[in-house]
Amino acid sequence: MVSFILRRILVSVLVLIAASFVMYTLTAYSAHPLDDLLSSSALNKEKLIQARIQALQLDVPPPLRWFLWLGGAAKCLIPLANACNLGKTISNANVTDILPMAMQSTIQLVTGALVLAVVLGLALGIITALRQYSGLDNAVTFTSFFLYSLPSFLIAVLLKEFIAIGFNNFLVSPTIPMGIVIAIGIVLGLVVQSVVGGDMRRRLVVGGVTTVLSVTVLYAISLTGWLLKPGLGPVFILLLSVGIAVGATALIAGLRNRRALITGMITVVVALGSYFTLQGLFDMASVGTLVILAIVAVLVGLLVGYLMGGYDRGQSMRVGAITAALSGGLVLLDRFMQSWPTYVSEVNGRPIATVGYQTPNLGGDVWVSGIDSFTHFALPTLALLLISFASYTRYARAGMLEVMGQDYVRTARAKGLPERTVVVRHAFRNMLIPITTLLAFDVGALLGGAIITESIFGIPGMGQLFFAGLGRGDLNPVMGYFIVIAAMAILFNFLADLAYAALDPRVRVR
Amino acid sequence: MTNATGPIVALEAVLPESKAPESQGRLIFRRFLSNKVAVGALILTFLIVLFSISAVGLGPIHGWWKYGYTDLNPQENGGTPTMSLIPEWLGGKGIFIGNHPFGQNRIGKDYFAMTMRGIQNSSLVMVVLGLIATLIGVIVGSIAGYYRGKTDAILMRITDVFIVIPALVIGAVVGHAFGGFGAATLAVMLGFFTWMGIARLVRGEFLSLREREFVEAARVAGASDARIIFRHILPNALGVVIVSATLIMASAILLETALSYLGFGIRVPDVSLGNLIGENQSAFLTRPWLFWWPALFIVSLALLVNFVGDGLRDAFDPRHRRFSLRRMQEERPSLAEDENVRAGDDGDFMDAQKK
Amino acid sequence: MTITGRLARKAIAVVAIGAAAALALAGCTTSGTPTPTAASGGTVTVASVNDFTSFNYNTPQGNLDTNGVVNYLTTGGFFTVDPSYKVIYDTSFGKIEKTSDSPLTVKYTLQKGLKWSDGEPITSDDMLLAWALASGHYDSGTVDADGKVTKGTNYFSIAGSTAGLDATSLPTLGTDGLTMTLTYSTPYVDYMLVSPIAQPAHVVATKAGLKSAADLTALLLKLPKGDPASPAAADPTLQKAAEFVNTGYDVTAMPTDASLLVSSGPMTVSAFVPTQSLTLVPNKFYTGDHKAKLDKIVLRNIPDANAQVAALANGEVDVINPQASADTLAALKKTTATVSTGSTVSYDHLDLSFNATVFKDAKVREAFLKTIPRQQILDSIVTPVDAQSKVLDSQQFVPQQSSYADSVKNNGSSAYDKVDIDGAKALLAGATPEIKLMYNTKNPNRVDEFQAIQASASKAGFKIVDAGSPDWSKKLGDGTYDAVLFGWVSPGYGYAGVPQIWSTNGGGNYNKYTGTDKLAISTQTELDSSKINAILAKMDAQAFSDAYGLPLFQLPGILGASARVQNVKFMGNQTGPVWNFWEWTVTGK
Repeated sequence: MVSFILRRILVSVLVLIAASFVMYTLTAYSAHPLDDLLSSSALNKEKLIQARIQALQLDVPPPLRWFLWLGGAAKCLIPLANACNLGKTISNANVTDILPMAMQSTIQLVTGALVLAVVLGLALGIITALRQYSGLDNAVTFTSFFLYSLPSFLIAVLLKEFIAIGFNNFLVSPTIPMGIVIAIGIVLGLVVQSVVGGDMRRRLVVGGVTTVLSVTVLYAISLTGWLLKPGLGPVFILLLSVGIAVGATALIAGLRNRRALITGMITVVVALGSYFTLQGLFDMASVGTLVILAIVAVLVGLLVGYLMGGYDRGQSMRVGAITAALSGGLVLLDRFMQSWPTYVSEVNGRPIATVGYQTPNLGGDVWVSGIDSFTHFALPTLALLLISFASYTRYARAGMLEVMGQDYVRTARAKGLPERTVVVRHAFRNMLIPITTLLAFDVGALLGGAIITESIFGIPGMGQLFFAGLGRGDLNPVMGYFIVIAAMAILFNFLADLAYAALDPRVRVR
Repeated sequence: MTNATGPIVALEAVLPESKAPESQGRLIFRRFLSNKVAVGALILTFLIVLFSISAVGLGPIHGWWKYGYTDLNPQENGGTPTMSLIPEWLGGKGIFIGNHPFGQNRIGKDYFAMTMRGIQNSSLVMVVLGLIATLIGVIVGSIAGYYRGKTDAILMRITDVFIVIPALVIGAVVGHAFGGFGAATLAVMLGFFTWMGIARLVRGEFLSLREREFVEAARVAGASDARIIFRHILPNALGVVIVSATLIMASAILLETALSYLGFGIRVPDVSLGNLIGENQSAFLTRPWLFWWPALFIVSLALLVNFVGDGLRDAFDPRHRRFSLRRMQEERPSLAEDENVRAGDDGDFMDAQKK
Repeated sequence: MTITGRLARKAIAVVAIGAAAALALAGCTTSGTPTPTAASGGTVTVASVNDFTSFNYNTPQGNLDTNGVVNYLTTGGFFTVDPSYKVIYDTSFGKIEKTSDSPLTVKYTLQKGLKWSDGEPITSDDMLLAWALASGHYDSGTVDADGKVTKGTNYFSIAGSTAGLDATSLPTLGTDGLTMTLTYSTPYVDYMLVSPIAQPAHVVATKAGLKSAADLTALLLKLPKGDPASPAAADPTLQKAAEFVNTGYDVTAMPTDASLLVSSGPMTVSAFVPTQSLTLVPNKFYTGDHKAKLDKIVLRNIPDANAQVAALANGEVDVINPQASADTLAALKKTTATVSTGSTVSYDHLDLSFNATVFKDAKVREAFLKTIPRQQILDSIVTPVDAQSKVLDSQQFVPQQSSYADSVKNNGSSAYDKVDIDGAKALLAGATPEIKLMYNTKNPNRVDEFQAIQASASKAGFKIVDAGSPDWSKKLGDGTYDAVLFGWVSPGYGYAGVPQIWSTNGGGNYNKYTGTDKLAISTQTELDSSKINAILAKMDAQAFSDAYGLPLFQLPGILGASARVQNVKFMGNQTGPVWNFWEWTVTGK
């Protein structure tokens, strides 16, 4: 294992060095760093050109200059020496100083999009595979094809112009017209009946109930101005948490497993209790507090499951942990909602941002700045997500269908195992194997896509660094960008290999 | 490495080909034809390309449309589209296309002609990039997969070098350097940096195919390495190659679009669908037709090519269709029958470790 | 028994975990203080295209637009410029007087009681330092073509030119610490446009290891003038000072060293989030006329023009000055913002190469210029943005300047008012000259100009060869083209730049034009502005009669301001909308 990792790292570094040479020379030969000066009418033009040639070592031909650059970059590999030198920009800033700033927002954006794309994509892929050739399946398949074929900037521009500005305009007087309420209700009803499946009568009932329920909820939201002063309150937290507990039990242990169900219910009660007791703590919370609370919540869930355990302790513990995490999330969501009106008035009633990653000089506590991050990242994340999510859906669907046809799944069914067990325990895990490979590739695609998303949403991240650097002929920031994304691509490939090995016992890492 | 230099030439001629390529090909062809969506998509793609070529002509030949894509014309109605599709009895102005059905840009060029030229260039990029990438990918992949060992290790590390850089990033750099030299040059250059997915796929195919009996037979018969690679193994890997070539073409359109949008692709005065949108991105709210016409064709072309690739995959590899959860349900030839993955995405670069 | 033991252990573990969590929680909370209440003046957020990189705008690497805006807000000065490029002297800062014509002697007097934002007084020490920076007086370096100093020492590296000030001798300082007198060995045309105020001398002195500004002054007065022929040994203290001024102000984060923020102007930087925003608040020691009525000016970094419009529509920024296009304008007009347009100091022009064979014959030049559809180009590129714009008819003045109208009347530009294909044909007499026309293919305006010219000139029999290139700037003056389309930036005021383009050996004379050489050089020693304008008018006429080329149009500019901000006015130069920030007010919150 250790030798495998060492070998991998060595090869990766060599690959990285070779790739950096390709990138460096290509960029250097395409760059025009003196453009602005050559066409200027400044009196001391010659002097300025000389100064820039000196500063960027332009008198050295690119392949040789790459060695100079590599000399500085190699120092980054010395741990703790802090001697990293990736050169300077045209405006005399160290690339090593500006990279972390740029990375922060890009990593936030890409990670968010990636996690959501995987979770949603897998879920939708599995559902459509299990309901093959249903209306939902056909709709999702066509949509994913469509999203595939959509240039990423198109999605980003549409989201910005219609969702951001449109939603903010809507918030001025947030009443949803009745027609739209009913339309949304019907669509939801259609989707849910398709997911649930069964005979015609069951579908009709499920679809009808969903439609009526969602119409009522939307109408209530519209009528009470809930969007301006949102909140869940203890009642809805309780209702939703119970739903989560039942869902988690059904998915992981099956509703017949009483101990698991009770675990879930106890966790819900604990969560509701914490809702009442923790409000004071929330008012002076920092990010650290929330992280600790999240860990504690999961531990509590595990503990409850452990104590309730029974013969299949693991299942109860998993139910407990998931219920605790999600219902705890609801409690936090409620607290965020309480800060929403404050935030909205801070930004003059237009919460969804179109540009940047934070409101300047906002101040405020963790709740307000949390909402600020959300309103800035929601749309760019969505724009990135929509595109890569399509491929996860199709992968997951294809993988699931293939796995479900395998002999061992048939055997499991033949043993009389319930469908849930077959899907969750036997099929799911094996379906994940090809997904790991996709994941590694997708990170590269997402980082590339971030260039466009960042430019449209004015987020000054890595993509902007690259884009602006390339346009200006500023080589060092472009190379800084390259180093980071290449290292990330390599890292994710490596992680994918490890995950592959973990999921597929046939693969052995030597 | 095998001792493929043996002098048993005569035998080789006697040996039957591994599989009768004709019947196999016809089977695949028939399977493809049965997929109505894919066939429709293929026909439509050709129609769009033909339409664009015949409309504005190619090179010195003038098309049937009265304006060229570089002609400057006087502004009509401030450049709004003259086309009307609502018949009079519906309260519209009647059905006619007028002088400038798609409108005009700010110096009066006919936007229909520009869009048609854009389709030409975008499809040119699509085809050329696809061919170059496939060619290089097949060569690298088959050599690596066939010879294995050191050759394989070196070639795959070279592949890794290129794969480390996201397509859009290397594309931007390449486009920045070569965008001014026209669509064909750009496509060729981009092709040099997008062959890695196919190379991996082909290598994977070769790794498994080279162990099969028919390869062994050819080798015993004394066929040369080149002959084994190109006459025996490659035809069997053709499915993978064709499918991923098609899917690479679909993503090539999007790559070119994204690059041109960022200003690193095809440059004015030449036209591509991407740079039409890039040039007119500020027109999104004010003169939306400048934005939507090219967008419509980008999405249609990409969608259609994806459908074709999908149909090809089903035709070459019916394995995916085998399982149906509700097998009792009658087979429906619909879009739902894709269970595939995007080109370049399902490379098995784990092989080195998998053994 | 074992069961209870296990339970007990479990219970202890639970309690321990709980206690640890509680402790950690206590450490991870904030005091929950409410946010400070907003003060009365309000905040205005201005979109900027580039990130802020340096507190010193005057170095070659720091000379960028956003740095310039910050510099404008944080530096006091003897004058500002208004939108008609008239120089307005700010007597609340100090005054400039010419005390003698021969030799030209200029006296600078600071207003009493001026202070830097750290409370230190602004004195003649600061003026002397500014002079030392701008004049290159102490430099003795010889520089080779690649910019390496081969002999001697160069101290301060500056973005501007030392022209003019290099002809001054060591200044004399008044005893009251408020005056400085400069004596020029040759007259200098822009002597009234020298504003000797830059970095605070006391800060620079400290960084150089000196005790006070006075020590730095003593050093500067003592050091000899640099002589590249026989350079003296470098002075280590001045080198240290120069190193600090040259690079010490470049930042990638809010500096921890507060002395970098010391400002002599109305505002001072209070926060800087790299790549995101920069916040300025009023300098409480500022006593001049340009005191801001606002609490805060925030510069928000938004590179993309469309994103700027969307951000304005969405209330995230208040003032934008995006790259102009008809669509951007139309989109802006759909919002509630106040929109104004105007002309900027950049103008596009067509130049003919005088060493190109095809243009040796003046008739061919004239014929070619006659085919240039200037009105059509203007109508398709500029008019949609700025309906009042007119074709630019002078090579020397812009319409905002008062001398423009007079010069245009007599400079012969009227000959090229209309496209005259027949006239061109007559001049060509059947010849079909081939012209290689170069332009920047990355600039859509130039591409459209090229196409319009190509279409029009072909009608007269010219063969226009597309010599457009993304590498155009490297090719300037290399003789590979016959004519070129590109842009100059005219500062709008001052005359020091005239010989750069119009003298035979000027660095910007890519056309090898010789017709205005003597006139251009003579402007530099003329002190009377009306005489200078007369010379410029003569040059203007000369260029047209030689068929030098044609000015096309001034690039239009757009200014959008949110309805809640008043008195934001268009400005065509690099300072942009903040030029009159002291007049801005905010209604509502």
